[in-house]
Amino acid sequence: MEPALTQPKPFCIIKNLHILFHGKPVLQDINLTLTDCGITVLVGASGSGKTTFLRALNRLNEYYPGYSASGQIELALSGTMENIYQTDLQVTELRRRVGMVFQSPNVLPVSIAQNINLPLKLVTGLDRKKREERLVEVLQEVHLWNEVKDRLKTKASHLSGGQQQRLCLARVLALQPKILLLDEPTASLDFKASGRIEELLLELQHRYRIIAVSHSLRQARRIAGQILVMKEGRIEHLLKKDQFENSEMLQQLLEEFL
Amino acid sequence: MRKLFDIFIYSWVWISTLAVFSTVICLLWFLLSRGLPTFGKELFFGQASVWEAITGQVRVWDALWPACVGTLSLVFLAALMAVPLGISSGIYLACFAENPFKRILSLSVELLAGTPSIIMGLFGFALILFLRNTFFPDANTSLLLAASCLALLILPYLIFTTQAALESLTDEYRLIGPSLGLSQLQTIFHIFLPASGRGILGGVILSLGRAAEDTAVIMLTGVIANAGLPHGLFGKFEALPFRIFYLAAEYQTPAELNSAYGTALVLLCLTGLLYGGALALHKTLEWQWNQH
Ligand SMILES: Nc1ncnc2c1ncn2[C@@H]1O[C@H](COP(=O)(O)OP(=O)(O)O)[C@@H](O)[C@H]1O
Ligand SMILES: [Mg+2]
Repeated sequence: MEPALTQPKPFCIIKNLHILFHGKPVLQDINLTLTDCGITVLVGASGSGKTTFLRALNRLNEYYPGYSASGQIELALSGTMENIYQTDLQVTELRRRVGMVFQSPNVLPVSIAQNINLPLKLVTGLDRKKREERLVEVLQEVHLWNEVKDRLKTKASHLSGGQQQRLCLARVLALQPKILLLDEPTASLDFKASGRIEELLLELQHRYRIIAVSHSLRQARRIAGQILVMKEGRIEHLLKKDQFENSEMLQQLLEEFL
Repeated sequence: MRKLFDIFIYSWVWISTLAVFSTVICLLWFLLSRGLPTFGKELFFGQASVWEAITGQVRVWDALWPACVGTLSLVFLAALMAVPLGISSGIYLACFAENPFKRILSLSVELLAGTPSIIMGLFGFALILFLRNTFFPDANTSLLLAASCLALLILPYLIFTTQAALESLTDEYRLIGPSLGLSQLQTIFHIFLPASGRGILGGVILSLGRAAEDTAVIMLTGVIANAGLPHGLFGKFEALPFRIFYLAAEYQTPAELNSAYGTALVLLCLTGLLYGGALALHKTLEWQWNQH
């Protein structure tokens, strides 16, 4: 028995993270170590800072006026842990390796193929042949290939919401990220389309580290390997599978925090 | 009561639209009925033969051809100067400028937009006077000067429409580029600008029309009634709006007045042609955005 070997490796270490907008604290005193054990699902009341937390991991908060932060975030981006605020890691490179999908599908107003191809070309500079191979690969990976292979040149906005969201996921996957951030990826979808995305995430969790915000606890329980509970800008709990499988305990937490 | 109010609003909206629509129809009909009969070789080329006129071998008198070429060159030159400048300034204002600098800049662009065109003309004229008294005793009003003043006139339309089109992009849309690891410039040029193409095109069309129809500016900066084809950038020129003005002010026979209507119709068609050109350019760019 060697517990040290079976111990999962951490891929995200956060120390004393504070984030403020216009001097108003939004995330406070976050200390957290995430290890590989399936999808990490973030739950919490609206306004508790879930989106801000995700955006801290790809430094997208910096895009907004009035942002200031302190603390340290380390992510496993290439074998070793890297401090994402260190100066020799380009923020564009960080964002490529930490891909993000948003609440409502935001396809570009171009064709299905070009949605994947354009960022791929701009970010990686791959030649056309490689890009086309990658396009097929990722569309298959998100199970969209059979649905769109005959109309790659048509506008992406003509796809259904669920298909668009899978296209957005494919667009991110084409850039070969290490970590996926999903901000309520099914919030704008119907029941069936949500189900397909959930199945997809359960597949993808073996290839990527996934941190997802969910608006529903049921969904969290279906897909999570661990659950983070946020409240008023703080992480209140990190629940492992055995803890939230116990529905009574979860119920109790729910009443307490949401 | 509520219902009555609704009916009132509905009918008001309808009547307003109808009023605008019928005014346009009346105007067009009037122009067509007076101007169309004058259309023919005579109106465009006078006594000269078409081929010789177009190739510039003979001078065209009392006809539209030189004015058509003059107006086209004016609009083309003005657009060449103003469109790149205006779109770039719009990008700067929308994507880079920060308050309070942004506010000052916007204010100055607004000031420029509010400047009457006759002032732009005066400005050009004063510039020539200044140059004559200082570095270039030979300086004179010319096609280039008129086009520069027109460029100044249309610049604010281009800046504002570009800025507005870029700023109307939704927050979610703005995040696509950065979230995928595109640099700021890549995001602006490959994600923002193409998506704002329609709005920017609107500004370009508006400004082309404005440059084509303006008379006040060119009257002070180099247009004359019988210049013939423009003689290069530093020569005098003719222009359609000035010809309309001139014909309407000094006509001696009803036929001459009618040829003013014909000229107006030609100006309208020319502007339409420019719109078509801008639209085609936009379509090409949009098509390119979709190419691998
Ligand atoms: N860019 C921003 N500028 C100002 N305030 C912000 C910004 N982003 C988030 N906030 C504030 O931070 C709080 C948490 O927001 P958010 O992270 O979006 O919460 P959640 O995703 O859990 O609903 C909210 O009160 C919100 O008003
Ligand atoms: Mg949110």
